[in-house]
Amino acid sequence: MSESPTPLLRAEGLVKTHHGEGAPARAVRGVDLSVVRGEFVAVTGPSGAGKSTLLHLLGGLQRPDGGSLWLDGERTDAYTEARWAVERRKRIGIVFQFFNLVSNLSVADNVELPALLAGVPPRQARAEREELLSELGLAGKERSLPGELSGGEQQRVALARALVNHPPLLLADEPAGSLDSKGTREVMRLLSRFHQRGQTIVLVTHDARLASAADRVISFFDGRIVDDAELDGTPPRRTGISGVLELKD
Amino acid sequence: MRATLRWAHSDLRTHRGEALFMVLATAGIVGSLLLATALFGYATNPWQRIFTQSHGAHVWIHTARDADAAKLAGLGGVESVAGPYATEAATLTSRGTRASVELRGTPRAPSVGRPLITSGRWLTPAQPDGVVLESRLARALLAEPGDLLTVAGTARTLTVVGIADSAEPRYSPGEQPGLVWALPSAVRDPGGQVTGLRLTDPEDTDYAVQRSVTVLGAGAVSEVSTWKQARAEAQGDNRLLGQVLGLFGLGALVAAGFAVHGAIGTRIRGHLRDISVLKAIGFTPGQVVRIFLLQHVAYALLGALAAATLTQGLGSRIPGRLGDAVGVWQGLPGHTVVLFTVPVGAVLFIAATTWLAAWRAGRVPPVPVPRSAAPAGGRLTGVARGALGLRLPPALVLGWHNAFTRRTRALATVARLALPLLLIVVAMSAWTTIDRFHSRPQEVGLAGALTVRPDGDLGDTAARSLLERDPQVADAYPGVEVAALVPGQTATIALRGLGTRAAPYPFAVAEGRPARGPDEAVAGQGLLDLLDVRVGDWVRMTVGDQPQILHIVGRSIEPENAGRVISTSLDTLRENDPHLRPTLYQLRLRPGADPHEVADELAEAARGHVDVHPVTNPADGLSPLRGVVVGLIAVLALIGIVELLSAIGGTVREGERDLLALKAIGLSPRQITAITVTATACTALAAVGVGTALGIPLAHWLIDAQGRSSGIGAGLAQGPSPVLLLLFGAAAVLGAAALAALPAARAARRRLADTLSAVA
Repeated sequence: MSESPTPLLRAEGLVKTHHGEGAPARAVRGVDLSVVRGEFVAVTGPSGAGKSTLLHLLGGLQRPDGGSLWLDGERTDAYTEARWAVERRKRIGIVFQFFNLVSNLSVADNVELPALLAGVPPRQARAEREELLSELGLAGKERSLPGELSGGEQQRVALARALVNHPPLLLADEPAGSLDSKGTREVMRLLSRFHQRGQTIVLVTHDARLASAADRVISFFDGRIVDDAELDGTPPRRTGISGVLELKD
Repeated sequence: MRATLRWAHSDLRTHRGEALFMVLATAGIVGSLLLATALFGYATNPWQRIFTQSHGAHVWIHTARDADAAKLAGLGGVESVAGPYATEAATLTSRGTRASVELRGTPRAPSVGRPLITSGRWLTPAQPDGVVLESRLARALLAEPGDLLTVAGTARTLTVVGIADSAEPRYSPGEQPGLVWALPSAVRDPGGQVTGLRLTDPEDTDYAVQRSVTVLGAGAVSEVSTWKQARAEAQGDNRLLGQVLGLFGLGALVAAGFAVHGAIGTRIRGHLRDISVLKAIGFTPGQVVRIFLLQHVAYALLGALAAATLTQGLGSRIPGRLGDAVGVWQGLPGHTVVLFTVPVGAVLFIAATTWLAAWRAGRVPPVPVPRSAAPAGGRLTGVARGALGLRLPPALVLGWHNAFTRRTRALATVARLALPLLLIVVAMSAWTTIDRFHSRPQEVGLAGALTVRPDGDLGDTAARSLLERDPQVADAYPGVEVAALVPGQTATIALRGLGTRAAPYPFAVAEGRPARGPDEAVAGQGLLDLLDVRVGDWVRMTVGDQPQILHIVGRSIEPENAGRVISTSLDTLRENDPHLRPTLYQLRLRPGADPHEVADELAEAARGHVDVHPVTNPADGLSPLRGVVVGLIAVLALIGIVELLSAIGGTVREGERDLLALKAIGLSPRQITAITVTATACTALAAVGVGTALGIPLAHWLIDAQGRSSGIGAGLAQGPSPVLLLLFGAAAVLGAAALAALPAARAARRRLADTLSAVA
């Protein structure tokens, strides 16, 4: 797969430093990464490792201090915030841990909004939304407001919203982080299902169970990739812990 | 665009109150601005139109009968001349109404100062006793063409053949005689003559007057009136009304701008999370700004449109002068332009403030990160610690602390809230001042409620005994009023001798002291400005041939004659002319007496030998202002409430972050609610304090500036009573606390799980 001509997403030397109060926090320091079409990549690591920042950089939600990013072979360094927003409409779907839905929009509007933004006719957006919500077991909840739903339901609505435009790339930031085990299993099942249909997914999580659904796991620590392992048995690409320890199921 | 509309639509569903506020506030503001322009147009335009159409004279000079007024035509700068016409002072009666008039003998229709016939026709030799009345006089006498008028004291009658508009000073009972055009043959006993001068350059008026007086000789000139005086008088209080409305309209517009800015700012801070999500799913920063802009401009447009439609459609049906003003204004040429530009201007202003606030929304980062770096809250002050130590309720102490911790934001909130409160205080001061004209007229130069002018047959002793017989009359002050030429001979002013040294007239002296000694006088602001003198100066003026030198020892509040009045005691004038007889009496009535009733009684008792007129109260014309003031206070209160809601929203949201911690240290939900309520009440209290502290001096300054410019003089302003202010403050603070109680209680009882999402 890695020989594929243009990876869907390629990063080189990404650097991001947060300048908050006190000392600057170096969240991402020199990350090279390549994700090909149809891959399900899980980025794991302890909290504070910089996983979320990495995901935000990949989705254009934050700008890197250094390094470059290619989307489908196109270099994005010169993209403005507005240009990134346009990219996110069609090419990238994003799911967060919290704060996923617009609180004063109904479930239906939350899902249809990205489709309308991408210029899909309202009728078609409506059809897409109905199909997705029924697939995710949310039929009948269209008129509810996000506050009236459970955490698992909210996260499924967020998934529907991220996928309504059929983006080539789905970025998920701790999608089960605030859910109970039932919710977590549900999200895991859904991600796997979409992956089997060919959806490319980059998932950030500190939950090993969730990461085990992916076919490639990247360990992230202190802003660097310390390990990159494919779970289908091929040898490790890098020297790391997995290079020393052979994993066996 | 569809996505934007979808979001705006959902947002409208959840923020109906805010939308309604925007619409109502814009409607109120645009409405008051439109009414203000209508009043301005109404104030200046009719007079200007009449002046232009009648080819009006810039100066009217009343002279003695034998003065050689024909020489005036040869003066430089004089374009054309009206007259000289013979005049006769008379009193006309019609159906029991009396009016003093000037009969003016015009052989043919004048070409300068041409009367504009509104009904009936011009004089014809076929009807030698026919007269044309000036329209205001006709209204006062309730006369129409065909009516018969009696000349008081004689058996003569005159027939009204026409009614005409004129740009000369209008008839005012007891002050300015009405104008009656008649054939020269009808002016049987001419006492003087009048000449009108039309100048090539209206700005040369003062110079023309000066030259005329020199040519004619000061002794020959009895009175001079200029177009500026006539215009100022015609504009009168309409102009003031327009200014007040315009001022408040603009003030409210600024306050509304701040309110919109604050409201959007608070909404943005409250919806950071939503805005981030919107951006994450693909809204560009420009689109986010446009959403807010679109919404608020739409609301403002709706309100402005409603106000313009209402003013246009129903404005002329407002009872009273406002309605008249709108009716006249709609016929004026610039009306459509104003009807268009005022609403558009207001909407643009609101759009600009919205844009400033919405710009921040565009800058919200697309990453919904928790605000880990919470704004640095100040440490508890020593006082606060002490207060906690004294076992004051912690909610009070923490609420106080919350209200003023973040200095810049707290100051901005207080300032924004203080602005509408300040304007309300100014409005209340205007109200109280108008009230003062009615409740305590003696303080604003209206001590005498009635002016009595006996005719020649009634002697001083007889007149006095007649007046003092009436039980309602407290005092009768004899006096004379003559026109005097000022030193530069550029104008005439009113010289009044009123009261005697033994029984001085109670002038309302605002500066200096009352005139007591010989040659001492008090003057109105208009006179001081005209002569460019100050209290303490000596002035010399000419009455007929006689010079009169007076020492101005004080400034009195003078509602009459644009303040161009100098008043001394009758005794001072008698020193110059020992044979001087009082020509009028100012009556002070006992409290509770009705001036109109007493006037009727006196007129009846004197069997037609006296003219009795209630003194015109300048505040009578301002009564429509009260309705407007109430309306404006409502609009301002609305703006204040929105400011408060923004502030409360901000405090509640800040509080949510601390909710867990406050619960953890053992505060009950009620105590947590009390913290927010106390913080809001403290903010409101500070705003009330600032608003009152600045509003009262501002109101005094504005009212006094208005008084000075109108000639009445500073010293009219009266702040609202302390009780009223206290009630106002208490209402604002308690209202704020009540308004805060519900959202604060709801926030304090919120499920803890939800606070996670409130972090962002």
